Amino acid sequence: MDFGMLLTSYAEVFTSVQVLLMTFIGALGGILLGAIPGMTATMGVALLVPFSFGMDLIPAIGLLLGIYCGGMYGGSISAILIHAPGTPSAAATVLDGYPMTKKGEAGKALSVAMFSSFCGGIIGALIMTFLSPLIADMAMNFGPGEMFMLAVFGLSVIISISGKSITKGLMSAFLGMFMCCVGLDPTNGIPRFMTVKQTGLLDGFQFIPALIGMFAVAEVIAGVERILTGKEHTASSNEKITSVLPDFKTIKQIWPNILSGSIIGTFIGAIPGAGGDIAVFVSYGASKSASKHPELYGTGIPQGVAATESANNGCSGGAMIPLLSLGVPGDAVTAVLLGAFIMKGITPGPMMYVSELHTVYKVFAALMLANLCMLIVGCLGVRFFAKIVSVEKTILYPIILVISLLGAFSINKSVFDIGVCVAFGVFGWLMNKYEFPLSPILLTLILGPMCEKNFVRFMNIKHGNIWAIGQSPIAMGFLIVAIGTIVFSIFNQRKINKREAEARANSGS
Amino acid sequence: MKITKKRILATVAATLVLAMSLTACGGKKSSEYPTKGINVICPWGAGGGTDACLRAFCDAMGKDLGQTLTVDNITGGGGITGHQAIADAEADGYTIGMITFELSTYVPLGTSDLTWESYEPLCRVNTDAATVTVGTKWANDNGITDLASYIDYCKAHPGEVQMGGSSNASVWHIAGGYLMNATGIDIQMVTYQEGAAAAVKDAAGGFIQGVTVSLAEARSFIESGDLTCLGVMSDERNAAFPDVPTCLEQGFDVQYFTQRGMAVPKGIDPDVKARLEKACETAIAEESFVEFMNNNGQAISYLNAADYAAFLEQSATDVAAAMEAVGL
Repeated sequence: MDFGMLLTSYAEVFTSVQVLLMTFIGALGGILLGAIPGMTATMGVALLVPFSFGMDLIPAIGLLLGIYCGGMYGGSISAILIHAPGTPSAAATVLDGYPMTKKGEAGKALSVAMFSSFCGGIIGALIMTFLSPLIADMAMNFGPGEMFMLAVFGLSVIISISGKSITKGLMSAFLGMFMCCVGLDPTNGIPRFMTVKQTGLLDGFQFIPALIGMFAVAEVIAGVERILTGKEHTASSNEKITSVLPDFKTIKQIWPNILSGSIIGTFIGAIPGAGGDIAVFVSYGASKSASKHPELYGTGIPQGVAATESANNGCSGGAMIPLLSLGVPGDAVTAVLLGAFIMKGITPGPMMYVSELHTVYKVFAALMLANLCMLIVGCLGVRFFAKIVSVEKTILYPIILVISLLGAFSINKSVFDIGVCVAFGVFGWLMNKYEFPLSPILLTLILGPMCEKNFVRFMNIKHGNIWAIGQSPIAMGFLIVAIGTIVFSIFNQRKINKREAEARANSGS
Repeated sequence: MKITKKRILATVAATLVLAMSLTACGGKKSSEYPTKGINVICPWGAGGGTDACLRAFCDAMGKDLGQTLTVDNITGGGGITGHQAIADAEADGYTIGMITFELSTYVPLGTSDLTWESYEPLCRVNTDAATVTVGTKWANDNGITDLASYIDYCKAHPGEVQMGGSSNASVWHIAGGYLMNATGIDIQMVTYQEGAAAAVKDAAGGFIQGVTVSLAEARSFIESGDLTCLGVMSDERNAAFPDVPTCLEQGFDVQYFTQRGMAVPKGIDPDVKARLEKACETAIAEESFVEFMNNNGQAISYLNAADYAAFLEQSATDVAAAMEAVGL
């Protein structure tokens, strides 16, 4: 660690007007893109890569990182306000963010999300600055067996996000797993539940159209139903937003969640192939398990929002580690960033820390700057965003529907995906009606392919000997934590049910 | 209400940005083709080898055509979705695309009816040779120093050596089969649907013994010493890696490479096609493109439209034969 060089790199980045401007524009664009379901940070980065060709490397990276960080926070805005996660990484923010809006605390939810995103981003960037060689070594130890067990660990969170009934949660999860089987099998390319003429299904159900469908479209259908039956909650927000940042009392409540969320986010982000979408659920589950009042999770408490939003922004720092030090992108956005580096004649990888250390430090600084810009834009926006909930529902729902379908289409420019989106919308609405939780399906859609690919690959390499997984301490560690999580969550759920029964008995008497 | 407008405006703005980048509104007015920006379809994801090569090439073509060429990544189904989109595009010269090696595999695999005859080829841009690249630690532990000792080891341990080769039926996967066929060894190919980078990482981490991916994709780990390239499956050495020998030099006639080229949909106006061909020819020699490809370790191997068509025809038969040999 060369502190002199580190400081000069930070100074250069923070004093360059061009870098500041580009990063700011990036953060603004990222938040706007992220807030629209279907317009993800990945898309924003991919769209702007060509524009960044003419720029120097660091302003270009600043612009792209601005979008990345902004998009991570932006996704939570629509998740909180309209029950439609703008990006996959915001999917778990719906769990507590939307109930907060329903309670008339939209402004508070947004400020908590923003503050947690910022803290997560900064902690992620700090970990990346000081520990990246160490974490890169750790990432190198993740082979197929370890990845499989990581996915299993991720799946163990299902119980904590199942809501009232574990049985219904598991049914949702199995349904999600089953949906993952559609499409070309990832190992041998054998078509499953489809014919090869159905090009829209070659890669299975596309995740983002499914996500938009299950949340945004389902919410619109439910909203129309409420309007038709005259049950629409006319909760015009009377909330006075006195401060765009959470007050001291709230910060005191949420800081442990922010800290654990940021660290979980950074470490999961640092593992190539695992990103923010997994980290948020793990962080949410961890925060719920550690809480003295797990029964409050899902009813709209700031801790839930803080846990997920700090995790997805922590991820952005984590994902940069394998990108820079191994040349392996941690998620879709970093895959595009990798292309941007190569365009500029720099090949990220083990040699980058030797030959391009100055550039590496500047990237750290740019990530720090991107988080600051995100905070500034976010602060300016909170008051405006929060007013969306006061919009007349008969106007808001059609707009959400159009934006959602546009978003579903634009991921792959595929008309088929619009159909997928609508189908999942109807499906999500039915699930909600019969109180099946949606999050387990989402989590299995994310983890299913990761589970399958790595399991089959592991079995291939070990010639079908599953017990060989016992030789990997990392894999065994994940397995133990997974079993612990399941056992603990079941006890926790019992406690929750008991307390709720008591509460009902008390209020009844 | 004000906010609704704002939100609509934001949406409209975002949509406009998207629409602009999709259709790429051109600036200069001229009666001669091209009068507006050209949309270029990339069947593979942003940030990958094809994408990088295509973006640099489009930059160079744009300079000659005086218009912006915008790359549009239409991905999925092992490249089928994007290849299909190029074939189905309107043949007005404003949608072109890059076709890749995998096009020759669809019919043998039975995954699509697309062949090279679904397009009008413009030119071949690049070929990247497969390699035999192994983990340095594993090689040292087993006394493997060159291709001959690797093959001896594989013969002594049939079916034990595991090599990563990108996704199923991808060029690197087939290259592994081709290597087995040509040298009579028995190795196990492990597929990585995530792409070459994941395979390279696993090889460097010692989970598999090696990879068959291109030098460009394994570059960083070869430079760091984690991986050692035993031989390139090409007739000459890679300009970016002059120290890495070819398989041919070591007495093994194994040549296998991926290829990428430009193509347009069938039924295009011959004048428009000729203009595009000329742009390709100029772009291939363009300084910044050459520099980019050299930096990236990707080999430029230009063939004009007629030669490229002949090459594609030949390669269709060759690939089908190789795939049969691998058992795909």
